[in-house]
Amino acid sequence: MRIVFMLVLLAGALFYSYIAFIDLSFMTRTGRLGPGFFPRIIGVATVVVTLWVLVDEVRKRNLAEENVQTWRDVIVLMALALGYAVLLRLFGGFVATAIFLAVTLSIVNRGHLYKNMLIAILIPTGVYLLFDRFLNANMPPALFPLPI
Amino acid sequence: MDIFGDLLMGLTVAITPINMVYLMFGACVGMIVGVIPGFGPSAGLAILLPVTFGMDPIGAIMMLAAIYYGAMYGGTITSILLNTPGESATVASTFDGFPLAKQGRAGPALVMQAAASFVGGTVGVILITILAPMFAQVSRSFGPPEYFLLAAMGMLTLIVMIGEHWKLGVISALIGLALGTVGVDLETGQGRYTFGSAELIGGIYFIPIAIGLFGLGELFFAFYNNLHKTGTGSIVQYDKEERFWPTAHDWISTRMTMVRGSLLGFVVGVIPGAGATIASLMAYSIERSVSKTPENFGKGEMAGLVAPETANNAASSGAMIPLLTLGIPGSASTAVLLAAFLMWGLRPGPLFMQQNPELAWGLIASMYLGNMALLAISIFAIPLFVQIIKVPYRILGPIIVVICALGTFSVHASFVELYLMFAAGIIGFFMRLYGFSPAALVLALVLGPLGEEALRQTLTISRGSFMIFLERAPSLWIIGITIVLLLILPLIGRFGSRASEAEKAGS
Repeated sequence: MRIVFMLVLLAGALFYSYIAFIDLSFMTRTGRLGPGFFPRIIGVATVVVTLWVLVDEVRKRNLAEENVQTWRDVIVLMALALGYAVLLRLFGGFVATAIFLAVTLSIVNRGHLYKNMLIAILIPTGVYLLFDRFLNANMPPALFPLPI
Repeated sequence: MDIFGDLLMGLTVAITPINMVYLMFGACVGMIVGVIPGFGPSAGLAILLPVTFGMDPIGAIMMLAAIYYGAMYGGTITSILLNTPGESATVASTFDGFPLAKQGRAGPALVMQAAASFVGGTVGVILITILAPMFAQVSRSFGPPEYFLLAAMGMLTLIVMIGEHWKLGVISALIGLALGTVGVDLETGQGRYTFGSAELIGGIYFIPIAIGLFGLGELFFAFYNNLHKTGTGSIVQYDKEERFWPTAHDWISTRMTMVRGSLLGFVVGVIPGAGATIASLMAYSIERSVSKTPENFGKGEMAGLVAPETANNAASSGAMIPLLTLGIPGSASTAVLLAAFLMWGLRPGPLFMQQNPELAWGLIASMYLGNMALLAISIFAIPLFVQIIKVPYRILGPIIVVICALGTFSVHASFVELYLMFAAGIIGFFMRLYGFSPAALVLALVLGPLGEEALRQTLTISRGSFMIFLERAPSLWIIGITIVLLLILPLIGRFGSRASEAEKAGS
């Protein structure tokens, strides 16, 4: 997994450098530092150091077993969080938060149905009162008009 | 430059009923944030920054500053009771704090750490009061060349202090620099990495990234470490004991420790890039080497708890100096404070203390009050905070996701920033897992654009010649100090980490 992450970084760095070299000029026509000056240096440096670390990693290849079990909960939480992002876009702050909390707590905090539902209602209400009424801050709007 | 007159003026600004409420609220929130394992001042500040929108500037900044140094008080509670540092700056407090708790001396340990934090914080604020105007005066002679060099120094010292995983730190910083280049190029007006998106033309705002990296990233990492399954109720070492207060011996034996720790902590805190973590580790190893009973360190020696505690609070005060007098943040938390200042239309820098004396001195005055408030809260509310540790992480976790998301959205009402925050959360998790440095990324994201603009201005002034750095006296000084730091800091850092390894091996 570590090597996959490094490869993703490398890909990003290569893409960044590509744009820096193709689209952005190193110096402007008047001889000053152009928009590409820093991006090119950053891009090349990132590629070099990432390759260096990759080579180090491959060389001291640690064949330890990755514990799949520890990954399961994190992946689930991440997936739920991304789902929450989508829900926010669709249903707006209040409804999306209530749905997210209800689903997440029933998965993570299994068995306490009553408590979970209570939290899923109280937290969005509390946040709504705090943000919308008290602080006059923005809550995400839904795609279609909703009462809240 | 009448320091006492300014301070008095600051006190009159700070001591209003509503500001005192904000201060107390910030101090409590800061302690709570510090107590939750994994969450440090950076996460707390980033998440709560949007909440300060409806407030007036001085109250908001007092509250944010209270959260900042309040977190230093709270982070030690879990270090002592659970052997789990609340944030990286309190790692050194676990070495002797937890052994003290195991001996049944949790109460005295907690009281001493509150006192030590108070001394460190107050000494730090006194030093700010004296030194900030002087620094501001010196920095008035700074121009673009010096700003570029300071930004570079901040990045270099941070990377050098990372130690053995420095390559990963370099990559983290480079990612931050790369993210900082997104937006419109100031000189040519050309869009860089905007891909036609109207949202990205303004660049990547660093608050969503900070919230994602430090808030969500830590949360995912805690779930990965199954923190949500273990619960904490059974391992808390805090029952009713006979003695709550420390003995006279405790106080007397650590009085010089407090002095050493605060001075050292403050000096380290001032250096951009070095911060409370390094200060606390250095203070621990230095205290051990000057102690008459070094063999007791790691087994419950009070000086071993007092030294890092004094240092980390003094360092957080010290870090305010480059922020207030130069406008250059030295750490992720001060970067968030900088964002707060900018949000209110204030420009920290050499002229800040001159142009906004009520704000600057009001803030400094509030830090005195804040430290006193925190001392009282720490001692009397300790049983209350112990209860917070017992709230199961699996309930706290989803609530934190909600607060991060809604908080991010409320800043600019931007869905793009919301998605960036979630992306930063996932990246932050992997960064924590594989030994990268989210702090370096955030610092680079802030210092990068600052440095680039400064360099371009410099080369415009010098008409393309890099010799300008060697022709100006302030630049030469900064280059000299940087070289000295780059040589000394790694040695001291290695000294500190060897001390911590010896601890872990010995105990």
